Amino acid sequence: MHSSTALAKPRQSLIVRFLKQWQIQVMALCGIVFVLAFNYAPMFGIVIAFKKADYSVNLMRSLTEAPWIGWDYFKEFIHDYQFRDILLNTIGLNLLQLLINFPAPIIFAILISEIAHKRFKKIVQSITYFPHFISWIVFGGIIINMLSVETGVIVSALLKLGIISEPVSLLGEPNAFWPLIIITSIIKGLGWGSIIYLAAITSIDPTLYEAATIDGAGRFRRIWHITLPSISGTIIVFFLLSVSNLLNSSFDQLWVFQTPLNLERSEVIDTFVYKIGITQMRYSYTTAVGLFKSAVALILLVGGHLISKKIAGRGIF
Amino acid sequence: MATKRFDLFTICNYAFLAIFCLVTIYPVYFVLIGSFNDGNDYMRGGIFLFPREFSLANYQVVLQDDRLYTGFKISILRTVIGTVTSVFFTAMVAYAMSRKNLIARGPYYWIHLITLFFGGGLIPYFLVLKNLHLINSFWVYVIPTLFSVFNMIIFSSFFREIPEEIHESATVDGAGDFRIFLALFIPLSAPVLATVALWNAVGHWNSFFDAMIFTTKGDLMPLQLFLMKMIREADVISNSQYVPPQVQKKISVQTIRMAAIMISTVPILLVYPFLQRFFVTGFMVGSLKG
Repeated sequence: MHSSTALAKPRQSLIVRFLKQWQIQVMALCGIVFVLAFNYAPMFGIVIAFKKADYSVNLMRSLTEAPWIGWDYFKEFIHDYQFRDILLNTIGLNLLQLLINFPAPIIFAILISEIAHKRFKKIVQSITYFPHFISWIVFGGIIINMLSVETGVIVSALLKLGIISEPVSLLGEPNAFWPLIIITSIIKGLGWGSIIYLAAITSIDPTLYEAATIDGAGRFRRIWHITLPSISGTIIVFFLLSVSNLLNSSFDQLWVFQTPLNLERSEVIDTFVYKIGITQMRYSYTTAVGLFKSAVALILLVGGHLISKKIAGRGIF
Repeated sequence: MATKRFDLFTICNYAFLAIFCLVTIYPVYFVLIGSFNDGNDYMRGGIFLFPREFSLANYQVVLQDDRLYTGFKISILRTVIGTVTSVFFTAMVAYAMSRKNLIARGPYYWIHLITLFFGGGLIPYFLVLKNLHLINSFWVYVIPTLFSVFNMIIFSSFFREIPEEIHESATVDGAGDFRIFLALFIPLSAPVLATVALWNAVGHWNSFFDAMIFTTKGDLMPLQLFLMKMIREADVISNSQYVPPQVQKKISVQTIRMAAIMISTVPILLVYPFLQRFFVTGFMVGSLKG
């Protein structure tokens, strides 16, 4: 094919071959220029975490002229009165999301695939995919309305069920924040998250199930021995993706539900960086905080890898 | 997996899925009836199934806020321009990266791949955009999202499956790579392009974070940021002093928010039935290939 035609000709110099393929080189270099500007330049910008470049707006000037300050900003963050809460919330919320929101769509996809009634299946899918298409702002706004003490449906339902004894504002209750985040992300994302697993399940050879049924396997054994192993490849790929994204909180979601009253359970590194960094223009300090987050994520990843290797004999990667 | 009878599992499964659907759809319904209810009456509480005092006053007030129209305009513009340019640009790079004879393909690939694992974080990114004079410009919605390494990988793995003979015969006919990309590869990969375009468009339509940090001008405010200000900062309707007193009596902060939420959801409700047909069939093919 292509390589054979190239071999038939005498070997040309690299420059000649490069110039001959200038069209695809231009196309490829467009991508390279883009990532250099928008991905690599910010990586070099990390240097300002170790420089006193706060309140300065010019990146180039900050990089070259600002005085070095060492680890001072890292120390400042560790001594911040909110530090413990922020670290706990960032790690806790993300681990919880990983533990609950990762397996949930797999279970949901299996439940849907067990429905024989085509119409019902379609209705369930249309309804549960829908919230994915509306923003967290809109969805959060809707939930906030439902949580209203006077007019919302949730507080009066909880009162009737006897779960709470008097009307409370759940948004102002710090301990209600984590459950709120988990429950709302399940409602919004479960249907959409299941699509990929559902696609994997539909591509399983149906004769496998038939053979298993003849051999006397019940429903749960078929799920356990056929469905799950068949989609394990997809599961692993998506698990790796969510693990590599471990500490990147869903900013939009947290931002809608965050109120001054629930800060002690809702403030995470991402929201803190926005507030202090952008609105108060403390660029160097919050760059250091962001870098701290990446370091924690790396430690968690390597730690998790080592632990799972020790216990299960297999690492994350 | 046809079952002959309705066993316990099947009953529980149907019941669970039905309840979950109700839980998913009820919030939207709750806001819909609230938005059609008289505002003051609504504040008495207890409206869960039907509007008690039907009123269009909330919509009347929301629809006269100019920021709603600015929001729609900006959101539609950025969704259309942003999606088209990003899909085109990303596919173009992907085409080059999928050519086996591309010199330096390996290094290029690694340069892209590293960006998936490392980043500078929000503040250095903000400073870069500031230095590129993108802050407070409409193009801050378009240019930084022009290229996505993740989508590039999806595209190029799809392009690699297109038979090499197609490329060869076009070259024999005298077509350059730009021509081959535009006239052959783009039409041939329509399903994947459409899938990624859908992800892209949903992202553009729903995003507010970039608007919140990279712009301060009111005339660049997309719909979601306007809603966010209404919901989080209780910044309700700027020109309510122009609302006549008889309308004033029929509205409340909560019901106005509900009306604004419903109006912003209308475009999605309109497109959703069409999208749906698309992602149950073509979508799975596209996403699985990637």
